[in-house]
Amino acid sequence: MNILLLLIPISLMLLGAAVWAFVWAVRKGQFDDLDTPALDVLDDDPPRARDRPLRGPSDAD
Amino acid sequence: MDASGGQRDCYHCGEPLPAAPVRAPAGAGWQAFCCTGCAAAAAWIADADLDGYYRLRSAAAARVGAEPLDLSFWDREEVLAEHSRAVPGGREIVVLTDGMRCAACAWLIDRALMRDDARLDSSANAVTGRIRIAWDPARAPLSRLLRTLATLGYRPYLPSSRAHEQARLAERKRWLIRLGIAGLGAMQAMMLAEALYLDFDSTMPAATRDFFRWLTFLLSTPVVFYAGWPFLSGAWRELRQRHVGMDTLIAGSTLLAYVASVVETIRGGPHVWYDAAVMFVFLLLAARMLEQRARNIATAQVDALARARPAFATRERDGGIETVPVSALAVDDTVRVASGEAVPADGVLLEGEADLEEALLTGESHPVRKRAGNALYAGTVCRERPARLRVTGTGAATRLSQLAQLVEQAQAHRPPLARMADRIGHRFVAALLLSSLGVYGFWQFHDPSRAFEVTLAWLVISCPCALSLSVPAALATAHGALARIGVLATRPLALDTLARATDVVFDKTGTLTGDALALRQLETFGGFDRAMALRIAAALERDSRHPAAAAFAGFDDGAPAQDARSVPGHGIEGTIDGVRWRLGRGEFAGGPAGGEGLWLGRDGTAAVARFELAEQLRPQAAGMLARLRAQGLSVHLCSGDALAPVQRLGHQLGIDAIRARQTPEDKLAYVRALQAQGRVVAMIGDGLNDAPVLAGADVSLAMARGASLAQRAADLVMTGDTLMRIPQAVALARRTRRVIGQNLGWALAYNVVALPLAAAGLVTPWVAALGMAASSLTVTLNALRLARREREDAVIA
Repeated sequence: MNILLLLIPISLMLLGAAVWAFVWAVRKGQFDDLDTPALDVLDDDPPRARDRPLRGPSDAD
Repeated sequence: MDASGGQRDCYHCGEPLPAAPVRAPAGAGWQAFCCTGCAAAAAWIADADLDGYYRLRSAAAARVGAEPLDLSFWDREEVLAEHSRAVPGGREIVVLTDGMRCAACAWLIDRALMRDDARLDSSANAVTGRIRIAWDPARAPLSRLLRTLATLGYRPYLPSSRAHEQARLAERKRWLIRLGIAGLGAMQAMMLAEALYLDFDSTMPAATRDFFRWLTFLLSTPVVFYAGWPFLSGAWRELRQRHVGMDTLIAGSTLLAYVASVVETIRGGPHVWYDAAVMFVFLLLAARMLEQRARNIATAQVDALARARPAFATRERDGGIETVPVSALAVDDTVRVASGEAVPADGVLLEGEADLEEALLTGESHPVRKRAGNALYAGTVCRERPARLRVTGTGAATRLSQLAQLVEQAQAHRPPLARMADRIGHRFVAALLLSSLGVYGFWQFHDPSRAFEVTLAWLVISCPCALSLSVPAALATAHGALARIGVLATRPLALDTLARATDVVFDKTGTLTGDALALRQLETFGGFDRAMALRIAAALERDSRHPAAAAFAGFDDGAPAQDARSVPGHGIEGTIDGVRWRLGRGEFAGGPAGGEGLWLGRDGTAAVARFELAEQLRPQAAGMLARLRAQGLSVHLCSGDALAPVQRLGHQLGIDAIRARQTPEDKLAYVRALQAQGRVVAMIGDGLNDAPVLAGADVSLAMARGASLAQRAADLVMTGDTLMRIPQAVALARRTRRVIGQNLGWALAYNVVALPLAAAGLVTPWVAALGMAASSLTVTLNALRLARREREDAVIA
């Protein structure tokens, strides 16, 4: 059972690292918006080449 | 509708199409839109190659509208100095918007801003409705970026205050960290606890066992006291108020399990129950977060106060003018309000005339004409021309603040029925605590060595994991489904009360009828041609933004009206085919002085026609009422308008219970009278005059374009104009109630079966914990059915 004396401190250290990583992620705002980033990967085609600069509709009308 | 190929709703915002929809190319082929604003937005999206938005979105967009928006406010130095901060290469600001409905909106905003070369960095958060923009002021003013957003239907507002904002964000993060700590700690504690449990034959050396127990103690202490703090403080609060509730039960069983385990650890007794304590904290924390999340989304979007507050005022001082924060204004200051700006404080108009849009107070979007000496109210918006006013009330003394107070008071005095669910919960908790004492007493007498363990298993089994999950899980799913049909629930009990409603009271203007007027009657004199009269009126009204213009829009054949001008307070005049026409009040157009209706006269001397205009019924009003009646609700109409139009409307819609000329107090009294008869009243309105009654009714629903304060007073806020949402919301609320009933039934049945076993000492705490988890899973899955059934409905509809 002496292996426990090695394994348990390791697991506690891993737990400490996990808690630290989680707190860091929350503080950095990684969990602020869980929905939008999921969409980013779904539509990521580069925009088509256009022959004129994009204008706001307010300029157009 | 043939012209739009059977399309009945606007392609962009999903609102019902008007009689003459705007048509424009978008998506695959031509689409119909409700207004030029929506069409422009769709065109912009197509032009920017962001069509993906329409595929990605899960909720319809906000109606864009055709009104131009003055954004020059955002370029003012004082605003930027106060609300933005310098970042490398430019400045950064956080703005609030009201049209973000789903993640696709945030995606669209982000992509749209990315196309502007002045944008350095941006992020949009659909949950909080906040957009963070970093831009380079040297390349473009902020207003250019914001105009892009406004054309897409996202109007920018200043967030209420940075401190408030920070506090809210910090609170959310604290909860998340609590949940994370609870999850990670519970996992580790469970791992060690399993090792102890699996030691069936007690072959583990006592030293190893105690080592494991102390480790579990270390792991569970932060979970119980840090992550579980909301429950502990909640229980303390409940105990101080002598009002036993869920928190008492949760904190009680957690602390019991924890303290008993500590005692056993020190004593070296046969059992510890740390795992029960930590799992409990974790599961309940997760349930509570789920429930709050859905509601927070709704309240963030209805952040009405933020929209109501003008941040700066222009004050006259010693012959010059200066810009000061609104809080610095004092009574008797002279303030200038530019056109398009909000009035910063209550005051008296000093000279001339002004047009004020009082939508915030009344829900009426048409400007009200004010003359020198008239009172102006804080929060109303000055239109057409600038105004000067002398301040008579600031801050808490403004009418706006007073009304906000009235609303809060009305909310505090909800009828007792609304708290019924709460009371039942308390009885359950009290009964459970008492009977646990009984079980303990019995075992103490019967077999003292097992008394504690049995009581704990009993508490864990009864402990309302499934029971407490059953309601939040169903509510969270229902709130999500509700948001998808375009209704935001801002108060916890709104859905429950809506399901129990027996009567619906409608306000007339803005709820059942729209703002635009429709032609009701036309009378011509001296054999004048009716079609001709309509044609002339249409030409004259073409460019006026008066509500009457909509009544004639359908008769417009493009005949030009030369030098048309509006004569304030009288009407419009203009030259058509060489003849000078006047359209307006009787004496102005050559009719009798004070004659009712709208008169058309040649040269202002000879009246040729008289139009009677009436408010137009909203497209789905009749269908909605039919469905509400089919749902067994009685419908009432309660309006501040004169008796005749209200009666006409009631007759048209088949509503018998009609009240006209109602002041806000009258409406509240009417609702109270209904409540006194034991009815559960749902109030649907839009104006600030409705705010007290919205707050006083059992449950209330505010319209999308209603006054912000009315939205604040309401339990539910609609995000669009589609009236069909009301019966849909009622149906969903009833289904939610059924699912909650099933869940509670299941949880109780499980308890009824398991509790005797536990009381008999046949269940160990860990089996109890397993059963609890299975039971929780069942109620959660049942709650998820709410989301699925909703989608089926959408397909059928």
